[in-house]
Amino acid sequence: MKKLTLTLSLKGEGRVRVKRLRDYVMADFSVVGHSVYRKDAAQKATGQVLHVGNIEMSGMLHVAVLRSPYPHAQITRIDKARAQALDGVAAVLTGADVAAMPGVDPYYGPAFRDQPILAVDRVRHIGEPVVAVAAADRRLAEDALQLVEIEYEPLPPVLDVLEAVKPESPVLHPKLRAAGTFADLAHVRAGQSSNVCYHFKLRKGDVEKAFAEADRVFEDTFRSPPAQHVPMEPHITLAYLDESQRINVWSATQTPSYVRTELSAIFGLPMNRIRIRVPYLGGGYGAKLYAKLEPLVTALALITRQPVRYALTREEEFVTITKHGVVAKLKTAVKGGAITARKCEVYWDTGAYAEIGPRIVHKSGYTSAGPYRMPNVWIDGYCVYTNKPPAGAFRGFGVPQVIWAYDSQMDIIARALGADPVEFRLRHALDEGEAFATGTPVRAFGLKPAISRAAEAIGWSKPKTASSGAKARGRGIASGVKAVLTPSISGAIVTMSADGSVNILSSTVEMGQGAETMMAQIVAEELGVAFDQVHIVQPDTDITPYDTITAGSRSTYHMGNAVRMAAAKIKSELAAVVAAKLEVNPEDLVAQGRRIFVRGSPERGMTIGEAFLAKFGSLGTTLTGEAICQTTAIPMDPETGQSEKCTEYWFPSATAVELEVDTETGQVDILKFFAVGDAGTAINPKHCEQQLLGSAITHLGLTLFEEMVFEEGRLLNGSLLDYQIPSIKDMPKEFRSIVVQVPHESGPFGAKGIGETGALTVSAAIANAIEDAVGIRIRDLPITPERILSHLAARREKEAHRKSS
Amino acid sequence: MTIPVFELLRPKTLAEASELLLKHGDDARLIAGGTTLVILMKQRTVYYPYLIDLQGISGLDHITADGEGLRIGAMATQRAVETSLLVRRSFPALADAFGKIGNVRVRTTATVGGNLAHADYRLDPPPVLLILGADLVLSSPKQTRTVPIKDFYRGLYETALEPGEILAEVRVPPAPEGSRTLYLKYSSLSANDWPCLGVAALLKGNAKRCDELRLGVGGLAEKPLLIEGLELARNETITDSLLDEIARLVDEQISPISDLRGSEWYKREMARVFVKRAICALAEEDPHL
Repeated sequence: MKKLTLTLSLKGEGRVRVKRLRDYVMADFSVVGHSVYRKDAAQKATGQVLHVGNIEMSGMLHVAVLRSPYPHAQITRIDKARAQALDGVAAVLTGADVAAMPGVDPYYGPAFRDQPILAVDRVRHIGEPVVAVAAADRRLAEDALQLVEIEYEPLPPVLDVLEAVKPESPVLHPKLRAAGTFADLAHVRAGQSSNVCYHFKLRKGDVEKAFAEADRVFEDTFRSPPAQHVPMEPHITLAYLDESQRINVWSATQTPSYVRTELSAIFGLPMNRIRIRVPYLGGGYGAKLYAKLEPLVTALALITRQPVRYALTREEEFVTITKHGVVAKLKTAVKGGAITARKCEVYWDTGAYAEIGPRIVHKSGYTSAGPYRMPNVWIDGYCVYTNKPPAGAFRGFGVPQVIWAYDSQMDIIARALGADPVEFRLRHALDEGEAFATGTPVRAFGLKPAISRAAEAIGWSKPKTASSGAKARGRGIASGVKAVLTPSISGAIVTMSADGSVNILSSTVEMGQGAETMMAQIVAEELGVAFDQVHIVQPDTDITPYDTITAGSRSTYHMGNAVRMAAAKIKSELAAVVAAKLEVNPEDLVAQGRRIFVRGSPERGMTIGEAFLAKFGSLGTTLTGEAICQTTAIPMDPETGQSEKCTEYWFPSATAVELEVDTETGQVDILKFFAVGDAGTAINPKHCEQQLLGSAITHLGLTLFEEMVFEEGRLLNGSLLDYQIPSIKDMPKEFRSIVVQVPHESGPFGAKGIGETGALTVSAAIANAIEDAVGIRIRDLPITPERILSHLAARREKEAHRKSS
Repeated sequence: MTIPVFELLRPKTLAEASELLLKHGDDARLIAGGTTLVILMKQRTVYYPYLIDLQGISGLDHITADGEGLRIGAMATQRAVETSLLVRRSFPALADAFGKIGNVRVRTTATVGGNLAHADYRLDPPPVLLILGADLVLSSPKQTRTVPIKDFYRGLYETALEPGEILAEVRVPPAPEGSRTLYLKYSSLSANDWPCLGVAALLKGNAKRCDELRLGVGGLAEKPLLIEGLELARNETITDSLLDEIARLVDEQISPISDLRGSEWYKREMARVFVKRAICALAEEDPHL
């Protein structure tokens, strides 16, 4: 990277402000805290990036899949003879064929093994894979599908989450097997006699007593619909058997380590007989977590003994994974102007297969009442099966859905009490060290600064610009927090060559979030080498160590710590050599500018090359450091949800918006938008700002118009012709992000993470601003112009009715 | 998302293309820009063993003007119309409507004829062509006939094209002297989306005295509509009560289909709002409103 030759001036908290770049630079650090360019920028800008879709192999087969046209049906007959006879078709696979493969478990899933690789006897959602064809090219495979005959006997579908929990509802999965893969899901139990596959409970204090004694009680129901991730690159997997007959998989996945574990469980093979490699992803957003196409593609590769690639079409993407639709019922007691109790009943529509639903209901469920002071809390979170495509992780991991509910209600309450919404939040926001609803004290908790910075940015204390004509102007704010997934594990290996160049071996997936850049910055800083001297070896389970997951804003903290600790081991080995040569205390040595020297006396030291030579007496040598960052939690009490430590750290978020509502059309025009998040120390401030904006854009669409529309289980807008995502023309007029930095004592250089923070509070802030503008409260997402207009019309009607009577 | 094997036929003349259409009947389909047909074929929603490519026929992509008005060849791209100075000068609303279709990548490939003959109920150009009184030239080996655009649309994806007939040209007569036109596209979801509805208006006169008013709407029925009975506005001052009367007239003639972009109720509400906005904008001579 080019040296910064810019005017520096000191500005508070030991940080330095680089005036020209408007970036914060940490005074003592040469790379960390600087907004260096992305590691992958040149590659991406010049189109040199390797994606799975660019990999061609000789004899590679292509896959097409026949999918269920019914939301719920019994498969009575499959005739694949004509398809199999087609020239160029290598395999036609059904669920029964998979089940008949020796030693193969035809079911998979991260929480329950409930999802068949191909439907066995029964289909449970529109678009469920039933028959797969591998053929010489994609067209042949699709032609073959048209020759497959399937007969179904439709069953009554379960489509509504509130209907699904009733005892008379058909049960989608009469028997369930717990997967047992993840430590944090150890409490998920097998069994089943209803569509509720997981029930999260939190009990603190006595809510009923507080309701009885309250001055006022507020009850509201909030809904958010299923939605799509829409990564630019749809799911894609390529599998083949190598010369040792090992399973090799190239896949666009956010979880290489998990995929290896899952394939090992499905196919009954030792883990080292499976190799997963992941090049750059064209976006993930939670869609590419856990096993997706890998089990099917591997089964086809094993059967055909040829390389097999399956690339989903955008239309298939819509029926593969979705965001959880949620119905959240909140009941809140207020006494003396303060919240005294909150009861949350949250129904999560996890679709036909649990996927990671139980973890979402658990990890996001416990934050359902919000990061606010309230002595009594009761939470019930239900993970519910319905006959819809499975729901899984989606940027924010379910937290945006609960914040949509609780921070809409915070505004409702503040307005009803005549309190200022910002002041009301600040008054209830938890302070450092105070206990969350789970009993866990919050640490490095920049919630109040986030709220204040958001309010300040939008000019909360100043009067709004007046509205004109049919336009009504309003301002809104929302705040909330997400907790990081705990426990989890990140392992890393760092190797340094004698010339000071460094390789990082990490299973963290680069999907656009800038993880490679973050890792390189941390390691360059730790070893005192240049950012450009660090190379990242992409995930390859043969060489890169285990990592739980690239998701949940956890990589900067977990993998950041792992690579830093691994680098520190190399540094201490080099320091030991230098210390011995110079007869100084290794503790007094620092690594900087490719040298190891005595702190304060740069001339007393060695270059890295000299240190290597001193240690090995030979050229071309390497040093290796390995480290694991493992976070731990104290399991929650299953009845009360209480734990002294339910999470390692928190992501406080706030959004402030100013908007205009066209009262004739219901259209919303966002004039100002500020996304605020506490990242801990920003390793790369520019990237943190961009992450806040990117996640805010996603949720802007989800707030205003994105929704998967189902009619009797059929998806009405299953393509990008009809499912809308925000375009450049939908961006707010003024659109900024603010990075709050409350360092975490055990984060790498104090960093936490910020990948989802900007997403969390968007919806509630917009709904709150709409109420401010036109005085109506929307409780259902998305907030389309028609929804606003129908509320306005209903109010007019009510007023007219009142006047006439 | 692949297209089954088909044969691409490449005629050199319109007559040849028509004969191929007649020969293969329902097994053949014309392909112009292909932006819609290719998607439908890739989704395997439709399949034609024969596609008759119009790209090889010369003289179909012209944009010319003379005393009788504007002529646009069916194979002119939408982008060509959008950016044509000729169109922009004399029929700014038409250039505007073509410029509001899909996105620039689509418009660079998609053609005028492909758009009009697709007969989707939400197309942007037809409302403008309706108020301009455009004619469509339909060619077949037997005859070449001219059909007013209001008679071209019969219903949902249904046109007046007879077997073997090909839309060859759009003719737009000069607009009434002193008149101004405007096209308002309203997308209720993403700004980049299909319209919830589109309103085209032509006004001769001003707020004080309306000499002539024409309205065309898209997305508000199974086909684009030219609003009838607007003589009631002639020689009138444009007042709120006149606008209400016009909105009522529109409401009587439309029959909106509820879809993802709006329920019937919402589309009726929006028809009222956007018809009034279009007229007011023209009356106040503020085409950018």
